[in-house]
Amino acid sequence: MFDEEYLKKIREKKEEWDKNFENAKERNVKFVTDSEIPIKRLYTPLDMKGNYLDKVNFPGVPPYTRGVYPTMYRGRVWTMRLFSGHGTPEETNKRWKFLYENGETGFSAAVDALTFNGIDPTNPDGAPEVGTSGVPLYCIDSLFALTEDIPIDKVSVALVVEPFTSAPVCAMYFNMAKMRGYDIKTLIGTTQNDILTMTVGYIPYKNVAPNHLLRLACDFIEWTVPMKNVPRWHPINFTGYNYREGGIDAVQELAFVFASACSHIDNLVERGWKAEDFVNRLAFHLAAHKDFFEEIAKYRAARRIWATLMKDRYNIQDPKSREFRFHVQTAGSSLTAQTPKVNIVRTAIQALEANLGGCQSLHTNSYDEAICLPSEEAALIALRTQQVISEETRITNTVDPLAGSYFIEWLTDEVEDRVLKYIDKIEKVGSIDKALSTGFLYKEMRDAFLKRRARIEKGEEIFLGVNKYPEPYDTCTDVFRTNESAIQIEVDRIKKLKERRDNAKLEKLLDQLRNVCEKEENVMPIIMEATKEGATVGEICNIYREIWGIWEPPLAI
Amino acid sequence: MSDKKIRVLMSKPGIDGHWRGGIVVSRALRDAGMEIIFGGFQNVKEIVESAIHEDVDVIGLSIHSGAHLAYTQQVIDLLKERGVLNDILILVGGVIPAQDFPKLKDIGVANVFGPGSMVSDIVEFIKERINK
Repeated sequence: MFDEEYLKKIREKKEEWDKNFENAKERNVKFVTDSEIPIKRLYTPLDMKGNYLDKVNFPGVPPYTRGVYPTMYRGRVWTMRLFSGHGTPEETNKRWKFLYENGETGFSAAVDALTFNGIDPTNPDGAPEVGTSGVPLYCIDSLFALTEDIPIDKVSVALVVEPFTSAPVCAMYFNMAKMRGYDIKTLIGTTQNDILTMTVGYIPYKNVAPNHLLRLACDFIEWTVPMKNVPRWHPINFTGYNYREGGIDAVQELAFVFASACSHIDNLVERGWKAEDFVNRLAFHLAAHKDFFEEIAKYRAARRIWATLMKDRYNIQDPKSREFRFHVQTAGSSLTAQTPKVNIVRTAIQALEANLGGCQSLHTNSYDEAICLPSEEAALIALRTQQVISEETRITNTVDPLAGSYFIEWLTDEVEDRVLKYIDKIEKVGSIDKALSTGFLYKEMRDAFLKRRARIEKGEEIFLGVNKYPEPYDTCTDVFRTNESAIQIEVDRIKKLKERRDNAKLEKLLDQLRNVCEKEENVMPIIMEATKEGATVGEICNIYREIWGIWEPPLAI
Repeated sequence: MSDKKIRVLMSKPGIDGHWRGGIVVSRALRDAGMEIIFGGFQNVKEIVESAIHEDVDVIGLSIHSGAHLAYTQQVIDLLKERGVLNDILILVGGVIPAQDFPKLKDIGVANVFGPGSMVSDIVEFIKERINK
């Protein structure tokens, strides 16, 4: 990016500088990034590779290294979207309104473990968890309660459910919207629908095998976008965040995400669609972790890798369809229960990474999240943290302010190279469902978190208050408790629904779903009908289990 | 001290899928020479049955769902009913508020390892309490 003659001069001066300060004292620590990229003392123009217009270029044009929009936050600041859900749909609705009144600009539904796993609250195995880790969304009535008085035609809603339950939960949402009089063709929002979240991020409870999950994820993409039923919806959000939290590093996070995204595109292309028909609606969700500059380099590298992949691999001509748009969540696993107030600082720094990296949407964690679900007070501080950045710091004045930093550009290149190599490693195993069913991704995850754990035990990865300047884990933080009556409320909700619905008609629809599953046709049309008639998420998922069988993930200690 | 190994059942009651903690601890206990029976997801009945069947010294319950009080109480009630509660050391780990530690200990849990625990402390605690 510099004139050869001038570079030569810099090189000479640099050698001189190196020699002069060869013995300058440095602390006896390893200067590496979180993903173990060795970091030099200093970066100079000598570390810049390639040329500006090919590699960095301007924002709003490929390869989008500097951002997907020409004006970025000068045009519109990122969406402040807090992942939120607890107790019952009514209580979650109350929290959503509270955050909205305080300036939140997008909603995101955190569902409970039963909703994730397609288990009705009448099942004793999961009953104690109704509403404890998110909002229970078991039937269409719950969706009405969740969104009551929420302007879902103006504010986007993220439904965080994965392929096993994305069809029934989202069908319930779309039916609810139709019944409220909205045209679902105009609805805006996102379904997470991420195959890796409920397989390697968390272990699935009585779900189906990865090849079926991949098919379900692609059915949903197909029905919403190329079939144009809900064309403005983001039908999938490749959620590197969830497995990053499990212990992998920034390079692995991006590689998992891209390998997965390519498998979905391949699946839809095999069905006869063109990649151009839907790739512009694919969305991403990344972590903002502890390594400040590596995370910023990661977001910049991600945009460039995606734009290049879309062009080289899928020959996508429309530049708009090569944009990498992403939501960020600050790192829950970086928080400690011992130093809850310090978590506010940690979260603020991570939020700044996401903003300096050009995210489209952001969730900031609450300071009490190492202990319990967020209290209202803690959630408000998390929202205010984003508002301090957007309203007070003036970082939004210009686009991609760190571009041109010798270090940032070098690190962006370095992350990009390593991600591309790791994608190859995954793709050697096969498509993403194979990488799961063979156990490959489980082994990669396990090795990563055992390595990280060893670093923490040895004090190489520092958690203030835990392995450095330890503090007791005390009872000073108020614990937010979810509603203990949620089980009864949800059991009653389903009971009422079952009394009201036409069970004979529903049985016929469920039989049709059995047929569709056996024939491997798109499940969405029949699930739209069945959930409208009152089918529960558990009833739909039980048919998947019946037809395809239950899958045990290949975990190894 | 005999050369018989300490036997540990590591179980996840319920349906919440946060799996990392259970594996990290299992691995550390195995590396410390213990025998691990990794139960994975188990309902209360399955936990108690496999604890008895496998003749374990320790049950580790890994719970991140917020439902730790309900599940632990159910496991302890059933162990009591089967007459084996006093033979087995019960440990609970996961995202457990400090306020709940005394509640869990009152119902019969030997120790609770909350967020930020070091696995070396868990190994040490088990070795101290089980003399084999």
